[in-house]
Parts: sequence; structure tokens; C-alpha cells
Amino acid sequence: MLRMPEPDQSTLARRKDIIAAMRDIVPNEGGVIVDEDQLRPYECDGLMAYRQLPMIVVLPENAGQVAAILKYCHTHKVRVVPRGAGTGLSGGALPMADAITISMMKFNRVLDIDWDNRAVVVQPGVTNLGITRAVEHKGFYYAPDPSSQIACSIGGNIAENSGGVHSLKYGLTTNNVLGVEMVTIEGEILRVGGKGPDQSGYDLLGVITGSEGLLGIVTEVTVRILRKPETARALLLGFNSSEEGGNCVARIIADGIIPGGLEMMDAPAIKATEDFVHAGYPLDVEALLLVELDGPKVEVDYLIERVGAIARECGAVYSRISESEDERLLFWSGRKNAFPAIGRISPDYICMDGTIPRRRLAEVLTGMQVLSQRHGLRVANVFHAGDGNLHPLIMFDANQPGELERAEAFGADILKLCVEVGGVLSGEHGIGVEKRDLMPEMFTEDDMKHQERLKLAFDEDELLNPGKVFPTLHGCGELKTLHAREVADKFPDIPRF
Amino acid sequence: MTEVISPTTPEQLREAVSWALGSKNPLEIIGSGSKKTYGHSVAADHVLNLSKLTGVMFYEPEELVLSVRAGTSLAEIHALLSDKNQQFHFEPGNFPGLLADGVSDHAGTIGGLIASNLSGPRRIKVGAARDHLLGFEAISGRAEDFKSGGRVMKNVTGFDLSKLMAGSFGTLGVMHTITMKVMPRDEKTRTVLIACDDIESAGRAMTRAMGSENEVSAAAWIAREQVGMLGVDIAIGIGAGIVALRVEGPAPSVAWRCEALRKLLADIGASEELHSGNSNAFWQAVADVTPFAGGIGLLWCVSGPPASGGAIAAKLADETGGKVMMDWAGAQIWLQLAGGDAMADKVRDIAVSYDARAVLVRAPEDIRNQVLVFHAEDAALARINARIRENFDPEGILNPGRIGQMITKQGDA
Repeated sequence: MLRMPEPDQSTLARRKDIIAAMRDIVPNEGGVIVDEDQLRPYECDGLMAYRQLPMIVVLPENAGQVAAILKYCHTHKVRVVPRGAGTGLSGGALPMADAITISMMKFNRVLDIDWDNRAVVVQPGVTNLGITRAVEHKGFYYAPDPSSQIACSIGGNIAENSGGVHSLKYGLTTNNVLGVEMVTIEGEILRVGGKGPDQSGYDLLGVITGSEGLLGIVTEVTVRILRKPETARALLLGFNSSEEGGNCVARIIADGIIPGGLEMMDAPAIKATEDFVHAGYPLDVEALLLVELDGPKVEVDYLIERVGAIARECGAVYSRISESEDERLLFWSGRKNAFPAIGRISPDYICMDGTIPRRRLAEVLTGMQVLSQRHGLRVANVFHAGDGNLHPLIMFDANQPGELERAEAFGADILKLCVEVGGVLSGEHGIGVEKRDLMPEMFTEDDMKHQERLKLAFDEDELLNPGKVFPTLHGCGELKTLHAREVADKFPDIPRF
Repeated sequence: MTEVISPTTPEQLREAVSWALGSKNPLEIIGSGSKKTYGHSVAADHVLNLSKLTGVMFYEPEELVLSVRAGTSLAEIHALLSDKNQQFHFEPGNFPGLLADGVSDHAGTIGGLIASNLSGPRRIKVGAARDHLLGFEAISGRAEDFKSGGRVMKNVTGFDLSKLMAGSFGTLGVMHTITMKVMPRDEKTRTVLIACDDIESAGRAMTRAMGSENEVSAAAWIAREQVGMLGVDIAIGIGAGIVALRVEGPAPSVAWRCEALRKLLADIGASEELHSGNSNAFWQAVADVTPFAGGIGLLWCVSGPPASGGAIAAKLADETGGKVMMDWAGAQIWLQLAGGDAMADKVRDIAVSYDARAVLVRAPEDIRNQVLVFHAEDAALARINARIRENFDPEGILNPGRIGQMITKQGDA
């Protein structure tokens, strides 16, 4: 069972003072939420299995207010949980009973569209899709497209280093963000990066991205935008085994073709989505590939032919090419509705997020079937096949005693399997609380201590988002001490000149 | 006397750092030493030389992944990748050749390349070296093993310490194993050359090209007097300064996009095309900064918002009397000065006024002792940088002083 840090009783005892201080800093109507019924919507994020009412919620409107709040929290040792749109799937915004949840959703403005530098400056509460909406009239878009893009905020994308179906070709958030303004727990406003490609000093932008709210609160984001490809077409390819499908993926990439999207679904996922959206998916195949090529029309037409030929050589038993934009969108409608489709056939499901070396795909899928039988729960698989990012959907019924625990144990076993074959715990959803206790599967104590030492450089008192990412927090004293075992006074017996 | 320690295994490396920590003897960390003059001199009596810590851990072309020991030479790695028709997509140039004369092509090690985060012309499309570092294993200044990342393309497990290590010049830890994303070479490459002598017009032309849907993978401007040094006859034949725009991909697409770019920029000047071998030779020369290579003259690199490139370059040339060249569609400007004065205040003032940053890439040691090589952080950022450094290398034994006052002691900033 998930253990969170014990609430600090002295903080709880000071709740009234803290509320008063927050109201001084954020006097705006509705800026400080303290009543239980109004706190309720903040009790969880997209990981709904875990809930906790926050002590209070504050909704600041500018960086100055964020700085004042954090400075207060730093001075008075009050814990803070940053929150974007609350769509995260790993529980990164799970509240704490003794912490202020800071919602960034009042930061909802697009500040600057710089066409010449192909850069857009936005506040962190702007949705991912909102950036594209702001620039699409001139033929531009923002590339990372997590499936929650209609609702998720760009600030949350920074926190989780979000990906999407196009990340194989266009990268994750980290490859598309140029700069941020971030407030530290000490209330200092940092500007990191900008519209140019380089920063000086250590790559703080690189570590802030994906830091899950543990280093600071981002108050402004600069991203690069791209010209929308002239055209896009998709192929649906069916195979009799996931080995053949996986092999086809490897062949496409080895041939130097990097598709805009390269998705794969297994038989249970195909059936569930076809029953739901009727995208015309074949029901007699074991693996379905959805390959999207984008670019100039002449390029797309050429590559579609080549991918089709590779698929035939790899034993594809089904092949269909989109002949219109409507048909392309129809192909995608199945994949994009895979999660709700599973929701129709199972009362509850959890979505895992491991990444594996692609060539181990068949082996991992077989392993998952064995685990499925052992835990007595069904699993359907959709994955970003191009980059090896799996999304096993484990089906269960939370009303049946013990099923949630079994589903979680099944999920943990899947992730352990991913790590075993050379993969990782999370490809794009983040660690949060969900995968926190699995971190030792991938990292040694010293690995994690070095990560925490980065945290310490920003937040020595560990007030920002405690209980997330790291299974046990080492105290500042322990992290800073140099242990005797670490040093050797004998000159090393190694080659020298 | 300087003593050189050359570990051949990660265990020996840990032992060396452990000794340095215990005896408080700082180490100057080098690969092949090819970039020793980039940055400030290191105050250390002992050199930790990683050039014997070599070898390929694994290379899986179909998985687009390569893992090597940090001391492996770039020459060996390029040959290995080339054999499978693959490459580092960020196309690093021959930086050592830029720093000093008489250094062979592709000198240096993968460790040195990543530690200095060097990237070539394709950076504008595919990102920097740091974007292709999938994972590493290292020994920190606490003499502890630590690693981050992995070998897969998509990974958000824990803090992304790979980004922190890339460009840290060995001041946080000594990497011994490096895992990189590699990419297939494109089927075809072509370059559109457009005659253009005016720097600011060139900047605007590159901005227009980058804003088009032609997926330009490199954009540079070379002044008339430097074109000859690129060694590509068709470019020389133009007889003017040139804006160069590269497109890569499948053959029909490349031909189509070249045509589109020539039409788009017909008002700028006459155009020519470089195909395959000529295109590759041209961009290798741009990546190597051939016009300013050979170790002669003070060399600055100014990096900022791409659309300001033309204006920054024009002002730098005008106010310093130096020679300029633009890469990264204007986001990177090379400035070679004629005299022995670095004109640091002037160069930095111009850079900062455009939200750009200036780095003194090449200068004699006495000048590097007086002038900050890297852009100085503002106080708040400098404090965070200093704390990271202290937490990873509390005794300051790894490359002390290499990145100069950019990393100041906590409280000094």
C-alpha cells in the first residue's frame, strides 16, 4: 500500500494563519479555497485510485503571487503540491493533508507568438492543444500531442516531459521547449533558456523538464512551433503474430523511414476498439499496425508505397491505405479511443507506461500473457511501437475486494519485466506516486541519491511535492555527508605515465 | 610535475576519483585532450586521462542505439556508424581542428563530445548532442557510481540527469559509459545556394526558409571572402556570399523541396544546387567551421534567437572589424577577430542586447585567464549552478575552474 509522508501536525495547527497569509497574497475572488466541498475536485488527478483532500488550494494569477506564496511556504516550512490541469496519470498532483495545492489554471494566456523565431510564449495553464489552436491559422502547430491534449496544460507537460503519438519523429516535450520562467521555493524567479537554442551553465532547462513539480513552479513557457506538414496519410497493416508486426516496425525504421506515427495494437485492443468506434479494423489479426507518413505530398505518396512493400515482405495479411483525410482520421479514431473502449468492456482499468527495446516486444507480450493468467486479470495492449513505449491496459473491477491490489501487482510485474529486458518504468507518464516504489528496480541507492542531490540544489527543505518520485527521501544531512567509505587515501594502482 | 592517471576500467576510474577525493588532489579530466584549450585552464597537478577507457558495449543499428565507453575515439565511432549507413543526427564537426592546427579529422572522444555538448548544422532540425544522449554511467565527485537514463528512446523515469551531464565539462562526474541514439543517413541530400552578400538580407532569407514547409535541415550564410575556403567549386562559382539551405529525405521529396525553396527565395538572388557528395562536403565544412579553422585568431561563438542572427552578425562585424559566418539559421554566429584584443565587453554587450550569449571559443591562455570564456549567469541561476556543483563534487576535485566563474562558490554570486 502506498505510504505518503506523515502530515505535519504543527502545519495543520497553523491552518488558519496560513489561510490568512494566502488571502493576503492572493486577494482575488476565489483565489483561496478552504471549504471541503470546494476542495473535493482537487482530491486526485488522472490517477483516481488515490485521493486525499488538500489542506487548502490557492489559485495565483501572476508570477509575483507564486513567488510570495512559495517564499511564505519556505519561511514557514509548509509543503506545496503544484497542479496543472490534473490530467496526469501517475499521481504527480496527488494532494497532501498538510500541503497547499497550488493550481496554475489561472495562468491561461498566450503571451507572444513570434513567427520569425517560430516560438510561442505562453502561461503554463494554456492547454497543449491551445498552443496549436493559437498558431494553426498560419499553418503552424506544436508537435508533442499527449492523448489528453485537449485538456492537459503545457505546465503539466513540462513537469511530466509528456510525449504523444508523434514523438518518434518530433520528440518529447524536452525536445520542443526552448525556455521557462520558474519560481523557486525560496521565491526567486528564474529565467532559463529563451528563444535561442543555448543556455549557459548546466542544462537546467533539461532537468526542469520532467522534474514532476519537485524543483519549482513554472510560470511561463517558451516552445518551438513547426510548420504543419503539407499532407499526411496512414496505413493499416494486419499481422498473424506480434513478432511479425514488431519485425515490420524494425524493418521500416532500419530502412531509414521515420514515420510521424507508428502505433500497434494487440487482438484484445483491436476487438474492443472496433466494437466501440467501428473504424473498420480487421478482427482476424493478432497485431495491427497504424503507420502515418507526413510531409510534402510527393514524399508521402512515395513512402506509403515503400512501407506497403516492406509490410508485404514481413508477412502482412491485411493492408489498407487511407485515400482521404476522412479515412485517415477514421483509422486514428480507433487508436485514439482505445482507452474508453476498454472502459466499456471493463468496470475499471489501469494504464501502464513502460518502454522496452523494440526487438524484445514479442517476448514481453508473451510474458504479459503468463502474468495475466497468474494474476487472473485481462490485459489489452496499445503501444507507440516506433519508440517501444507500451501501454498495457489492465482490466479489473474495483468493487471486487482485492482486485485493485491484484491489478497493481500485475502492473508492477509488467514494469519489472520491462526493466529486465533493458527498458524503463515510464516512457511518458512520469513516476509520481504510481511507480515511485518501483524506482529501486531501475536505480541503485546511489543513483537515486544523486537525483535527490539535484533536488536539494533547488529545494533543500524538500517542501515541493514530497512523497513523489523517490520511494524514500534521504535527509539533507545524509545527502551532503561524505562517507568515509567513499574515500581512499592510497594512490590508485592503475596505469600512469 | 603533472602525473597522468589512465584508468582502463570503470573500477579503476572509481579508484582514481576516490583517491583524489581522499587526498583532496584535484583532477584535470581529459579524453584525448583535443579540446583542452576550450574553456579555462584547470588548476590540477593530476590529469585523469580517459583515452584508455575504450570499447563498444553494444551497437544495435535496428534499435538505433549505440553504447560505448567514454574514451572511445570519435574516429572509430564514425567509422562504425558509417559502415551501417548511420550517423549521429546532430552532426558534430571537427571542433578540435577549429581550436588548433594540425589535428586530424574527428579527433577527440565521445566523452569529450558529450561533456561539451557540441552540435553541428542539423541542430536546428533535430536538436543538440544532449537530445541524443539516452543514458550514461559515471563516477561523481563523491567517488560514487551513478547512472541515469537508459537505452530506450522514450524515458521519463526519474530526473533527466543526462541533460545535466551533457555540457557540464566534467565538473559533476566523470562519465565512463555513454549510450547514444543514432539515426540512418537520409536517402538523398541536396543544398540550395543563393547568392547574397548582405548579412541582414541573408538572415531574413533563412527566416523565410525556416518558416516554410520545406523541412530545411541546415541553414547557413557564408561571406563572399570565405566561400572559397569551403572547397566546393559550385559554391565558389557563384562569386558572391551565399545563403545555403539543405533538404534531406527520399529522392522525389528532396527534388520537390529544392524547387520550392528556389521559388520562395527567387527575389534574393541567383540560385544553384549541390547534390549528394557536394552537399555533404559543403556541410562538413560548415560543421567544421572551415573558414575560421586552423587555430589562428580569436574566435567567438554567439548564440541567440535565430531571426536576430542577421542583425547581430552585422553589428558584430561592424563594431569589431571581425569576420562573421552564420549557422543554425542565424542562431549561431561565428566571429573571428583580426587583432589580439578579445573585445569581450563589446561582443557581450551586443549579444546580450539581442538576448544572445557569447562564448570565447578560441584564444591564447593569457587571454582566457583574463576574460570569462562562457557567458556569466545572473545571480539566481549562478547560485543554483553552484549548489548542484557542490552537491555532486563537494571537494571541487573535478576539473576545477574549467568553466570559470560561471560556477561560482555559493554566496559569491
